[in-house]
Amino acid sequence: MDIIQKAFDRGAKNLSEYESKMVLAAYGIPVTQEKTVKTEAEATAAAAEMGYPVVLKGSGETVSHKTELDLISLNIRDDQDLMASFRGFKERKDVSVEEFLVQQMVKGNRELMAGLKRDSQFGPCVMFGLGGVLAEILDDVAIRVAPLSEFDAMDMMGDIRANKILDEFRGKPAVDRDALASLLTGLGKLGLENETVAEVDINPIKLINGKPVAVDALIVLDQA
Amino acid sequence: MHDINLDHLFNPKNIALIGASSTPFKWGSIIPLNIFKGNYQGNVFPVNPGVETVLGHRCYPSVEDIPGPVDVALIFTPAPTVPAIVEQCGKKGIPFLVIITADFSETGPAGAALEARVIETAQKHGLRLVGPNSMGIFSSQTELHALMPPTMPLKGPASMLSQSGNVGVQMLAWGTDEGVGFDKFVSSGNEGDLNSADYLAYFAHDDATRVILAYLEGIGPGMDLYPIAREAALQKPVLLFKGGRTQAGGKAAASHSGAIAGSNRVFKAAMHQAGVIQIQTSQAMMDCAKAFSNLPLPQGNRVGILTRGGGWGVITSDACEENGLHVPPLPEDLIKKFDSLLPSYWSRGNPVDMVATISHDPFLECLEILANWNDIDAIIALGAVRATVKFPFSDKVTGPPEVTDTIKKALRFRQAMAAQPDAILTGIKNLTKLTGKPIVAVSTGPDILHRETLRDYQVVSFPTPERAVRVMSHMVDYAAFRRKNALHEN
Repeated sequence: MDIIQKAFDRGAKNLSEYESKMVLAAYGIPVTQEKTVKTEAEATAAAAEMGYPVVLKGSGETVSHKTELDLISLNIRDDQDLMASFRGFKERKDVSVEEFLVQQMVKGNRELMAGLKRDSQFGPCVMFGLGGVLAEILDDVAIRVAPLSEFDAMDMMGDIRANKILDEFRGKPAVDRDALASLLTGLGKLGLENETVAEVDINPIKLINGKPVAVDALIVLDQA
Repeated sequence: MHDINLDHLFNPKNIALIGASSTPFKWGSIIPLNIFKGNYQGNVFPVNPGVETVLGHRCYPSVEDIPGPVDVALIFTPAPTVPAIVEQCGKKGIPFLVIITADFSETGPAGAALEARVIETAQKHGLRLVGPNSMGIFSSQTELHALMPPTMPLKGPASMLSQSGNVGVQMLAWGTDEGVGFDKFVSSGNEGDLNSADYLAYFAHDDATRVILAYLEGIGPGMDLYPIAREAALQKPVLLFKGGRTQAGGKAAASHSGAIAGSNRVFKAAMHQAGVIQIQTSQAMMDCAKAFSNLPLPQGNRVGILTRGGGWGVITSDACEENGLHVPPLPEDLIKKFDSLLPSYWSRGNPVDMVATISHDPFLECLEILANWNDIDAIIALGAVRATVKFPFSDKVTGPPEVTDTIKKALRFRQAMAAQPDAILTGIKNLTKLTGKPIVAVSTGPDILHRETLRDYQVVSFPTPERAVRVMSHMVDYAAFRRKNALHEN
């Protein structure tokens, strides 16, 4: 893909969140509605277009772990809040925020994750499991070798210990398993078709009316 | 690329034994001895310059002096001599070599360099190698026992490839003890040329092989294991026992996905996806080999349990539920049927606890009812063999007539019991055939009892219910894999 090739050619270690999501979208993976902006005016215009609440994220090539860097402002309700967060990031001395991401705020507390890793023996492998910032600690994932059949994708959902999270939960609908399966098979396809992609993180995946949406994403390139 | 026909490797008409000698306690004499003793069906040509005969067979100075074609050459000579011998074999046009000789890549860089020369020479002539550092091969069809230990495996439907010669031949030996028969075996050694995936691909489409056993430690980068394992598992059960851990992929992970997906975890996931049955212990390997070789696959995970005592039934139920098997409740009409056969205080449920019945043994009738129950897919029959009921008495006991008479009665009972397994085991065998449902028997008693049960009645039995359940759980998982893929293809 063009985005991947360009980033690879300029020696980037990873794609920005925005670029990563464009790649995911090209493989049929639903992503949050979002826009890259550079000025306050562009930010408020973007927020007006998608409607509050929104999320503001500091972005750029050097920024790959935004949570750890404290560059995410959630649940912004109006222009005034948005401006305050914008300036807060801009004035940061420890990191250089080149651009901003205004993003649709997806609510809900069910957080899933999907990922891709290139294994030296088996090639691209797709992972699926519990998401959120504790994903590594929860360590509840299933793995399949790409390409994934529809059956493989369905099967791996049942493999995680917390598979009940996919059922109807506290008045919220069950996860649309067909949509989730197509996300997972799409991810495998992405890995097979793009040799320079070393790893992919889609974390968290949240649910809008049971449909999975990639809220954050990172594509790591193999520059070795 | 993995479609290498190994028919002539496993079933050669003519074999050369290079480095064969009559000196006792050398591999050059032990392996030829095993071949001769094993009644190999082809022609054997010992090769050793300056030696007239080996174990009574005419010996040739070099492979090139052997009249006519040779299918397989086994090499026992010291490592430094091997490249030149491979060259001679190449000139002779021998398609397969089995290099028993060690001291190659397993010992370090110098050995690795020597091995590279051997492989290069072999490739130049287009011949294929087993090993080096192999413990040999076995084939029941030609009765070829080209093995280091004097193992005489039973004939049967299992074929095995092993990266460890020791583990492999031990399994062959256990097979003899437990009644598990083999068709082919290869100790793959250092896998300088032919590797585990090549053997797996061959066994997958080998008609004589109905169950594949594999012991693996390392997976080389060129080994296309996943698609081959999947193809094999779609044909027949593949029992994989993985020793050691693969090396972690060189680079440090830059994402969560990278950190979580360690290489051993990926390996297990890939093998699960491929439909391979992953075995955790050497005992489970043999247990599964026995069951998969002899029983039909269950159509689902519902198990009926027949027992002669409550406690063992409970233990078996627990083990079933913990291992993904379901023990469904008994329907009313079946309870009525059992009511007519059993004392009023029987369990009235599944497990069917027959409770202590001595005067008449309704075991077989109960088993038949269970086997014909549509809501179960498999049966675990506890206490199927009672021949081992041991009485701490002998007919030489003296004492008052009340005591000796009672003992005589007990001995008569023992004789009656001893005669009974015939009926029960024959019944199990027939019911399995009739219903297509696997029935696994559980009986306390020595190993020989289980071997005889298998040999004489083709009934699979284990000394503990936990082992029976573990095997059943693997069978259920594998059957589910086959069903799902059959659905997918249609």
